[in-house]
Amino acid sequence: MITSISILVDEATYDITPDGMKLRAMDPSRVAMVDFEWPKTVFDEYACDAPTKMCLNITELLKLLKRAGKDEAVELSLDEKTGRLQVTISGKYTRTFNMPTLEAAEEEVPTPKLAFNAKIKATTQGLREAIEDAALVSDHVRIEVDPEKLVLHATGDLMGANIELKKGSDALLDLEVKETVKATFSLSYLNEIIKTAAATSDIATLEFSTDMPIKLDFQQPKEGKLTFYLAPRIEVE
Amino acid sequence: MLDKVCWRIVVSLRKPIVALENPSLTEAERLVKEALAQHKALILVGNCWVDYRGRASSRLEPGERIVMIKDDGSVLVHRSGGYEPVNWQPPGCVFNTLVVDGALQVRAVRRQPREAVHVYFDRVYLASALSLVDRGEFSLYASEEDMHRAVLAEPSLFEAGFKPISYEKKVEHGFVDVYGVDKEGRFVVVEIKRKTAGREAALQLARYVEAIRSTVNREVRGVLAAPSIAKGMQRLLTSLGLEYKALDPKKCAEILRRTKTKKLAEYF
Repeated sequence: MITSISILVDEATYDITPDGMKLRAMDPSRVAMVDFEWPKTVFDEYACDAPTKMCLNITELLKLLKRAGKDEAVELSLDEKTGRLQVTISGKYTRTFNMPTLEAAEEEVPTPKLAFNAKIKATTQGLREAIEDAALVSDHVRIEVDPEKLVLHATGDLMGANIELKKGSDALLDLEVKETVKATFSLSYLNEIIKTAAATSDIATLEFSTDMPIKLDFQQPKEGKLTFYLAPRIEVE
Repeated sequence: MLDKVCWRIVVSLRKPIVALENPSLTEAERLVKEALAQHKALILVGNCWVDYRGRASSRLEPGERIVMIKDDGSVLVHRSGGYEPVNWQPPGCVFNTLVVDGALQVRAVRRQPREAVHVYFDRVYLASALSLVDRGEFSLYASEEDMHRAVLAEPSLFEAGFKPISYEKKVEHGFVDVYGVDKEGRFVVVEIKRKTAGREAALQLARYVEAIRSTVNREVRGVLAAPSIAKGMQRLLTSLGLEYKALDPKKCAEILRRTKTKKLAEYF
């Protein structure tokens, strides 16, 4: 989860409330956005008395979290007086790290206002492989959806690829299409997003319209939300 | 048409430059304040020192420098050498100008993130307010590598029916820029030059063609693609059995510019 966020931003501000934690951030080039929520039910224990914001260096946090083994428990606690986050990992033995929090950015990231003409439900694994196929030949991909199938076209300097996911196939679970839609996206973003999200989710829902941003929602096993938005590439004459 | 006429009148009434040579600090202050209020660009030359505080902090000791404040509220402090400014602020700064303790202070503050550049002059040699009109478009012409990419993306730019097979292909003496097949099935070795192609480029291409000829038994063409060729080059090319094709970097740049990535904020 945190890995998914780290592919877009180095620093991010968590909104922490008695109900859970949320985060919404855009990458520095403002092409992609992540919208993440963990309700308190996701945690074994969760305590928060008053809403607060916590800005962290995600890359650093990730280094610490990666030290936790499979059956180990991780405890995060914010000391508001010192402004430091304590990360305790306990299992075989106990280690406690502390890291500084950063000044929270005031910027609120709004949700893009979008109307979608196509909605695709697919396995994250299937999508991941399709995107990896396309990434072999190009750095961008055109996604086309009609009532029967989802097609990825990639054209590179020398090679091309055409990848079809038909309705009813193992990879494509559901397709709702108002009209045929197509849009082109950067494969480096798509690849990173899907690759990291695949670790947290088996089923992804994609929604988009012609030459509009794509919304990628990754269904979480417990409650919680992991959604990405990615702006399209457009042809300009 | 009327628009053009009006524009000429505006231009002719306008005073592009007001300059004060060796002004007193208060004279310079007045000019700076007026210019900033009217969103004019400014040049200040004099003995100054600079403090910056923000994400980091810096101090520039006194010295003679050129300070530019542009009409969009960006600031550049240049020393007399080096192409980069030593201190700067991005567009949209808020300014505060005052004379305190025998120094003219110009403060430029950026709000988010909060950063401040304070410039202190004790002597001003030149203060100039500029109302400049600049509506020209900037065109960036492609680099040699962009030209390769453009030919790969749009082979007809080079020749109708040309099919690229490989680029930066390694041969005995170096790398072939673009390598492909023409519509008659002959191999084509393309050497791309960003500027007028000279003797060196022709000889290099001849070596590449030779290297490839020795490995295939098909006809191999060698083509020098460049915006122009040097005088007398045509004769050299002919004697080496090579060709020249005009390839315009500007056109290449246009091919590459046709796609761009949108920003999410356009959809908020």
